[in-house]
Amino acid sequence: MPQPRKHACRSAYNLRMVSPDSERFPYDAAASDAPARLAEAARAIEAHPRERTALLPALLDVQHALGWLPRPAIQRVAAWVRVPVSEVYATATAYSELRLERPDPAMWHVCTGVACDLAGAEDLLLSSPECTVRIDCQFLCALAPVVVDPRERLLGRLTEDTLRARIAMHLEIRA
Amino acid sequence: MAVETACDGACWAAPSATVVRPGHRHRFARLEREPLGALLECLEGTCDDAYAGSGARGLLARVGHLDGSLADALAQGAYLALAHAVTRKPEEVIEAVQRAGLSGRGGAHFVTAQKWRLAAANAGPRLLVVNAEEGEPGVFKDRHLLEGDPHRLIEGVLLAAHAAGIAHAVIYINGQARNARSAVDLAVEQARDAGLLDGSALGGAGVEIEVRSGAGGYVCGEESVILNSIEGERPVPRTKPPFATDRGLFERPTVINNTETLCVATTIFDDPPPPTKLIPLSGAVPRAGLYEVPVDGVTAWSGVLAAAGANPQRVRALLLGGPSGRFVLPEEFDAPLDMRGLGAGGVVVLPLDADIPRITRALAAYNARESCGECTPCREGTPRLVALLEDAPANRERINALIEVMTEASLCQLGGLAGKPVASALALFPQDFEREASR
Repeated sequence: MPQPRKHACRSAYNLRMVSPDSERFPYDAAASDAPARLAEAARAIEAHPRERTALLPALLDVQHALGWLPRPAIQRVAAWVRVPVSEVYATATAYSELRLERPDPAMWHVCTGVACDLAGAEDLLLSSPECTVRIDCQFLCALAPVVVDPRERLLGRLTEDTLRARIAMHLEIRA
Repeated sequence: MAVETACDGACWAAPSATVVRPGHRHRFARLEREPLGALLECLEGTCDDAYAGSGARGLLARVGHLDGSLADALAQGAYLALAHAVTRKPEEVIEAVQRAGLSGRGGAHFVTAQKWRLAAANAGPRLLVVNAEEGEPGVFKDRHLLEGDPHRLIEGVLLAAHAAGIAHAVIYINGQARNARSAVDLAVEQARDAGLLDGSALGGAGVEIEVRSGAGGYVCGEESVILNSIEGERPVPRTKPPFATDRGLFERPTVINNTETLCVATTIFDDPPPPTKLIPLSGAVPRAGLYEVPVDGVTAWSGVLAAAGANPQRVRALLLGGPSGRFVLPEEFDAPLDMRGLGAGGVVVLPLDADIPRITRALAAYNARESCGECTPCREGTPRLVALLEDAPANRERINALIEVMTEASLCQLGGLAGKPVASALALFPQDFEREASR
């Protein structure tokens, strides 16, 4: 079974950001397509009514478009739904699925809910420590242990070998 | 003809295909490792009837057997209860709900008929919020209902709308349940196009249905948190009173029902269905998945475990209700199930070698992470509980005192029930904690 290099997960993403699935990549303020992507997010925001009740739907749309919630987009949402930026932040930080920082897309998220824990989640974490992080219950308990891959797909019934193989395959595609 | 359909609850069998003929079904499980020969043979007409289903079939009757069209749902009986309900006065429908003994399936088991009456007694416009947030670890029942039979929920919404005089409904779906969201979006569109929502197809005053997604957080399953979330406020609980049926969403009288509750409401005219509860079952069992269990005064955990292929002798305990729940010992396996004691229904089967202290700490840590911070007992109490569990035997009295404060004084049930699995573990497995502490 091929083993990923140490730090392979991070470097594969951080050094080679251009790829066929670039639409999956999070918004990067320094990238050349940043203004266009912000404009796309703005269009999504402005499809909502200009009311406070549209706050969460607008934030979700921004995250869908950009992968996370960068400051200019948050400011845009705040202005559109007429809510102070401070309160938009107060709301956005309260939801566990909203991301205020650019996510590291290389990570494989290993579910550590009780069923997954019983099914060996810790072994999965230990078997690929450079590429895995913990995540709370993903509600696929019947297919434990569950891993969320870097493209946010849910994978069930993983073993150390199948996870390592998937990571290796993923890195190969990326490289 | 091959039909793509949602999971029917037999998650253990995935990926699976079921050959369906009139009066005959044959499931082929784990197709990724089974040769396809038997499936092809069955399609040619030679196989016996061997359908390992998921217990009683009421709410799950259509789940996993629909092709996603409204026509198929109608052919399999969708909207029949609604068609019957709209010919009756709202109060008669509420009485039928009361006679059926329907209680809130989200876990609190509040009497549904009473909730509808309380809202109906207030001046309109009245609102309905469907709690499909389902964020309790170990629970995946509403996802199955929404993905597999979204028209049952919509029928339940329309039935509740008729009974309680509701003009506008919001279905609030867990943000991660993307398949559920798209299934509901599609079904709402189908129902709207067919004139089911505005009352032109079957009668009734009509109701507008809006679908929304959440964005994570266990606390977002708490009903008043959903109200704040929809309004665009921070997702934290509200103080009660006022109760939602008096002043809920946008200050309007609001009924908040769990997905499963509204789905059960579509069975109230059945003759007579035993009340059932959906039990998402996972952990150390051969056939993990979603089970519809009759809560009929006879069925016990032993029956549920048998259906899942588990040997009770190999089970240390059940974890019922995850981070807000309790442990169930084998001594209780033969006692008839009690609806009120089932919570939301999530069960993780713990094997003989399960590390109870470790599981308990993980549950306590989860509550500490998920505490929204709005009230002090929960914000300060949940991490304190985690710290005290480092040496539970030595801290026993302080743990009990802390749990009492959190139970009494927390603003919502995240804090109110955070001590429950801890207290249960310490009461049922003291030797496990002592053994660990002496190491």
